[in-house]
Amino acid sequence: MTSCSSQSPELVRARPLLGTVVEIRVCARSLASGTAAINHAFAAVARVHALMSPHDPASDVSRINRATAASVICVDPWTFAVLATSQDLATRTNGVFDISTRPSAGRNTASPRESWGQLDLLPRNRVRCSLPLKIDLGGIAKGFAVDRAVAALQRAGIVSGVVNAGGDLRVFGPRAERIHLRHPFSPGHCLIAAELVDEALATSANYFDPARQGRLVRPDGRRLWLQRGSVSVMAPNAMLADALCKVVAAIGIRRAAPVLREHHASALVLGRGQPDRIEQLADAA
Amino acid sequence: MRSPWIITPLALAASTSGYAMTYLTVEQAQSVIFPQGKLNRAPIKLSSTQRDAIAKASGIRVRMTDLRVWRVEGGGWFIVDEVLGKHEFITYAVGLTAKGIVTAVEIMDYRESYGSEVRGEKWRAQFVGKTVAAPLKLDQDIKNLSGATLSSRHITDGVKRLLVTHDLVLKPIS
Repeated sequence: MTSCSSQSPELVRARPLLGTVVEIRVCARSLASGTAAINHAFAAVARVHALMSPHDPASDVSRINRATAASVICVDPWTFAVLATSQDLATRTNGVFDISTRPSAGRNTASPRESWGQLDLLPRNRVRCSLPLKIDLGGIAKGFAVDRAVAALQRAGIVSGVVNAGGDLRVFGPRAERIHLRHPFSPGHCLIAAELVDEALATSANYFDPARQGRLVRPDGRRLWLQRGSVSVMAPNAMLADALCKVVAAIGIRRAAPVLREHHASALVLGRGQPDRIEQLADAA
Repeated sequence: MRSPWIITPLALAASTSGYAMTYLTVEQAQSVIFPQGKLNRAPIKLSSTQRDAIAKASGIRVRMTDLRVWRVEGGGWFIVDEVLGKHEFITYAVGLTAKGIVTAVEIMDYRESYGSEVRGEKWRAQFVGKTVAAPLKLDQDIKNLSGATLSSRHITDGVKRLLVTHDLVLKPIS
């Protein structure tokens, strides 16, 4: 499980991307082919970063955020795919998963559901905002980037490997990989492990700054269900794992159970509230 | 319904107090960033004036005055640098074109360290007596971590400092 084989050396590389450290581990037929494949995968992650960073004025996200009411914007198919999944999750969770924020609108004037409902997805990768709004794909784009990196590796002929973007990770190929979860209150320690074969795992928490509870925030300003500890979600792909993690953090495992089951996902919560406890939901499928 | 999660036995939970990973040696990083390039070591020591100028122009503290720089034949630079966060120590390599444009940033070595104590004793106590589906061995390497949300801000700052270093120190000698 830990090494590839004598014929296929293991290569591991890491680059700073998406505001975190992105690590790619593959079994390659040769050093040269593995290096080339990893370069393609990093390029895919960098492309997601360029398309979806809210800090880059040229990104699709910034273009949507600058758009005036009712204007139609053509976005990259990758951005469109993320927006489509986001809107689908918003519908299924009744707006708990919400990529939009309307900072100008007062608490009383816009309900959260109104906010994401202002973004219409049109044919041919076009979007229209019926009202000006701000979107942030921070709760889903990292997972999507991991999926694109995996696709790039597979296209380059890599059969198995792991892509890990700061805790949002995906395992592909026939080999099982053991993933460790950090202790939510002691980040230098691991407590729970999971064996993954061809699936993804995401963890959301606020390990490194216990004083600041809000690495995770709800766009509607409501209180998170998860006040302390961590949430992990296993799902068929990293985009879903990333996004569903945010849903569980917002409303808890029990209320998120239907949407988790719909996506063949399972969740684990470590150390919420007093007394701290573990809660888990296994995939029914 | 099988639970996909494996609960680590308590006694072993404290077997690691950090996470360390070596990705590339200097030679490997050179061949990844400049696959066809011929690199020559260019020993550079910053004077205190240069050091202050770099810190002032980049807004980032300069800790090391001995730079690990290689000149690429035909133009360009390969630099190995280190950044230090509260819990992490990262060695990374940067490739620059002759004009000082970043071509690649590769992490060479990454290590986290923490105090070895496990916080939340009460919380840990609940695991006593829980089923252990697949006990971890003490000597097993931790290869994949989820929940590692350390930011790469220090590397971003480091690259910014190196770009100023290029501008003030390397460009004039190229």
